Amino acid sequence: MSKLVINEEFLRQVETLQTVLKNNIAGMFGGNRKSKTYGSSCEFTDYRDYVPGDDITKIDWNAYARFDKLYEKLYLDERQMHTRIYIDASRSMDYGKGQKAEQSLRLAATLAYMSLCEMEKVSIYIIREKQIEEVISGMVGKEAFFSCIGKLNEIVFEGDSYISDAIVPSKVGRGDGMSIVISDFLTDNDYETAIDRLAECKRDILCIQVLSREELNPQLRGKMHLFDSESIHRSYRKNIDREIANAYKAALQYCTDRIRNYCMARGADYMQVCAEDSMGEIFFDKLVNTGVLK
Amino acid sequence: MTFLYPLGLLGLIGIPILILIYIIKSKYTEQTVASTYLWLLSEKFLKRKNPLSNITGLISLILQILAITFVSLAIAHPMFIVPNSANEYCFVLDGSGSMNMMQDGKSRFDLAKEEIATVIKDSVNKSRYSLVYAGDEAVVVFEQIDNKDQALLLLDEVEPNYGEGSIGNAMSIAQGYFNERPDILTYLVTDTAHQVNENIHLVNVASDIRNCSVSNVNYKITDTGLIVSGDVFCYKGSKNLSVSLYVDGAQEAAASTRVVAKDGAPAHFQLNCEVSSFSSLKIAASAEDATSLDDELVIYDVKSESSYKTLLVSERPFFMRSVLNAIGLNSVQVVAPKEYFNMSGFGLYIFESFTPAEMPKDGAVWLINPTASSSDTGFSVQGEVTLERPDVLSLTTSTSSVAKQLSEGLTEDEIYITSYVKCGLYRNFTSVYSYKGNPVIFAGTNDYGNREVVFAFDLHKSNIPLLYDFVLMANNFLDYSFPTVVEEVNYYVGETARVNVLSSCDSIRVDSPMGRVTYLDTATAACDLRMDEVGTYTITLVLGNNQRVFNIYSSLPEQERNPDADGLGITLQGQAVEGGFDGEYDPLPIIFIVLALVFILDWGVYCYEKYQLR
Repeated sequence: MSKLVINEEFLRQVETLQTVLKNNIAGMFGGNRKSKTYGSSCEFTDYRDYVPGDDITKIDWNAYARFDKLYEKLYLDERQMHTRIYIDASRSMDYGKGQKAEQSLRLAATLAYMSLCEMEKVSIYIIREKQIEEVISGMVGKEAFFSCIGKLNEIVFEGDSYISDAIVPSKVGRGDGMSIVISDFLTDNDYETAIDRLAECKRDILCIQVLSREELNPQLRGKMHLFDSESIHRSYRKNIDREIANAYKAALQYCTDRIRNYCMARGADYMQVCAEDSMGEIFFDKLVNTGVLK
Repeated sequence: MTFLYPLGLLGLIGIPILILIYIIKSKYTEQTVASTYLWLLSEKFLKRKNPLSNITGLISLILQILAITFVSLAIAHPMFIVPNSANEYCFVLDGSGSMNMMQDGKSRFDLAKEEIATVIKDSVNKSRYSLVYAGDEAVVVFEQIDNKDQALLLLDEVEPNYGEGSIGNAMSIAQGYFNERPDILTYLVTDTAHQVNENIHLVNVASDIRNCSVSNVNYKITDTGLIVSGDVFCYKGSKNLSVSLYVDGAQEAAASTRVVAKDGAPAHFQLNCEVSSFSSLKIAASAEDATSLDDELVIYDVKSESSYKTLLVSERPFFMRSVLNAIGLNSVQVVAPKEYFNMSGFGLYIFESFTPAEMPKDGAVWLINPTASSSDTGFSVQGEVTLERPDVLSLTTSTSSVAKQLSEGLTEDEIYITSYVKCGLYRNFTSVYSYKGNPVIFAGTNDYGNREVVFAFDLHKSNIPLLYDFVLMANNFLDYSFPTVVEEVNYYVGETARVNVLSSCDSIRVDSPMGRVTYLDTATAACDLRMDEVGTYTITLVLGNNQRVFNIYSSLPEQERNPDADGLGITLQGQAVEGGFDGEYDPLPIIFIVLALVFILDWGVYCYEKYQLR
C-alpha cells in the first residue's frame, strides 16, 4: 500500500460511525449476540433430557414434578465472542488504483471496531496463496484497536489466493462469533468449502464481495488484449463489442449469484460492495438492506 | 480515358503499404486488468456470433484501399473522351445602354453574362467558345477557346457599355463563324425582342420593368430670367414625375414642377427662375425606375468656363477700354507702362505704345503700336514710318482659315493711318491689313506659344477707333486669342467631342464620369474625345501655371431608354447542320462524392469498432 489507509482521519470517521450506529441500529447482527454453545452463565436458554453424569444441580425439579421425568436446564455459555476477519490479499484486490484493497481494509477495520465495541475479541487474517497469515490476533478493547489496527497498512496484496485451501485447515473457532470473508470472489477456485467449514463450526458468516466500478460496469470497447494482474498466463484478446459487454455482465451476474446463493443456502450473509462506496453508504444502506444490521 | 496528371497514380503505391501496415500492426490495445476471470467467463455467455463483427476490420481495410484509390484518381484527374459530344458556341452579347437597366437587383448585362456562363458551365468539356461583344463597336472578346475557366474569366471581365449596341456588326462576325462551321450554336443574348431565324438561339433577359427619362432640354436667358424647357418620358404605364432645376449645383426652390408621363409619349415641362447667367444647369426627374442614367441632364455654359482677366498697359487707354467694353470684356485692369513690371496671372495682356523687354508667358498678347523690338515676339521693330498724307490700309486677300477667322464679318471700312511701325516678321504671322506690302495688323504666336495680335500703328493717329470694324476686329482677335476648346457641351454616349488644342497647352487631362483619367495628345490642333460613359466629362487644360477647366455632359442615347424597344429581324444565313466533335467528360465531381462517401463509411466503421454505435 502506497499510502496509509487506516489513518487518524479514518479512525475518527469509524468512531463517529459507531456512535451513529449505536443510536440508530439495535445491534450488530440482530442485537446482542448470544453464544451458540451452552455454558454456565445465569442466562437460561433450553432444556434437555437428563443423562447420568450431568450436573444434578441443574435438574429442573418442578418439571420432574409435572412430567415425572428428569430434565436438565441449559444456560448460555459465558465465553467471549471472537470475530475473525479474513481479507483476500491477492494481487487482483490491489491492481489499478488499489481501491478494492483500500475498501477491504477500511471495511475490516470498521467491522473490527464495531465488534470491539460489543466487547468481542477480534482477529484479522489475510489469505495469501493457500494459507492464512495472522495480522492482528485476539484484539480486545478499543485501546488495543487503536494500537494494533495500523498493522493493516502493512498488508501487501500480491499473488493469488485460495480461500478454501487457506481457511479450512486453519483454526476457525467453534460457535463463538462471526467470520467475515472479504474478497472479490472473482475466481474459479473453491471458496464454498470454506463457507461449509465455517458453517460446520457454527460461525456466523458474512461474505463481503468487493468489486471496483470498472468491474461492475466495464467501459472497455474495441480490440483489446487484456492481461490478468495475477498471472501473465491468463489473458483475454477480443474485439469487445456490446454483445461481449453483455456477456460480461451475465458472467458477473453469474459470479455474484454463485456466492450469494451459496451463502443463502448455508445461512450466511452476503453483501456486495463497490470499491468507491463510502462507509456511510455501506453501513447505513447495504448492511441494513441485507439484514446484517437491524 | 486519359489522365491529366498521370503521376497522381503513384498514390496507388499506398495500397500495398496499407496492407502491410494492417498485417504488421496489431490493432489490439494491450491493457492489464485486475482479473480476466470475468472476461474469460463471458465467453460462456456469448449468444452470437454476428459474422459482421469478424469482418469489420476487413471492411475498414477495404474502405481505406478504396479511399487511397479514389484520392490517387482524383490527383491523376481522369478524363473520358465522349465522341461527338462537344459543340462550338458563339455568343453575341448585347452591350447597348439599355442593358444597364436593373432587374431584381441585377443589371440586364449581368443577367446576360450569367446566362452565357450557365451555357458554358453546362456544356461538355473541350467545347469551343467565342464571344462577340456588341458594344459601341462589335468586338471579339475571345475566339474558339476550349477552356471553360478561361472563357468564364474573360466573360467576367467584359464591362457594360452605354451607347447603342452594334448588334448588326456583331451578327456579321457571327455569320462568319457560322459560315466556317454550320454546326456552331449561336446565342444572341440581349434585352431586345429581336426576330431571329432558327439558326440563332435568342436569350432575352428583359423583364417587365418601367423606365423614365429627361430629354430635349433647351434653355434661354430672357430679360425676366432663365427659362428651361424639355420633355420627360415614361416607358410602360404612367408616372407622376417631379422635375427640378439645379443652377450651379444648387436647387432652385421655385423651379420645380410635376408632370404626368405615360406610354412613351413626351410630357412637356417648363421651368423659370430669375437667373441671368450660370455655369451649369441640371434638370432632374425624381423617378425610381430601371436606370438613373437618364433621369437627369446637365448643361454647361462654355463661355463661363472661358472667363479670364485682362491687363491693359497704356498711358492713354481710352480707345482700348472702349472697344473692350464693347465686346464684353469688363474685367480689365489698367496700369501705366511705368507701373508694369513682369506682371502675371492674366489671360490677355494688351500693351499700347509700350513694349516690355520680355513678353508674358501665361497669356495672349496684343501689341498696339510697338515701340521696340523684343526677342520673343517673333518680329522686329524697324522704326516708325510717317506718311506724307493719311493713307488707306489694304485688307488681306488670303483665303487661309486664320485670315478668314480674323477678318470675319468686317464691313471693310477704309482704315486711314498717318504713320505706322515697320515690322520685320521672322515667324509665320497672318496679316489682316497691310500698307504697301508691310504688315500693319497681323496675328501669330510668340516664343511661348501664346497668341499674339499686333496693331503696328498708333490708334490715336488713325480713324480706326471710330470705325465699327474696330469692334468686330477686336472680337475676332479675341476669339483668335482664346480659341474655343469645346464647341458643344451636350452629347450622347457614342458620340465624339472635338477638343481644340491650344498651342500653349502643356497637357489636356480628361476625367470620365466613372473616374477614368486619360490625357489627350497636345501635339495636334484638335483631338477627338469619344464618350462611352454617361455623365460629366471634365477636361482640364494646363497652360503653364494656369488651368482651364471645361465640362461636357454625355447622355444615354434616346433609343436606349425604352426598356421594351422592338428589335430588328436578325438572321444567320445558311443551313445549320448537326455536328460536333469529341468532348471530354470530367468524372472528378463524382470521384469526390464517392471519396466523401468512402470517408464517411470508414469513419462509421471506426466508430462502430471504437464506440459500438449500434
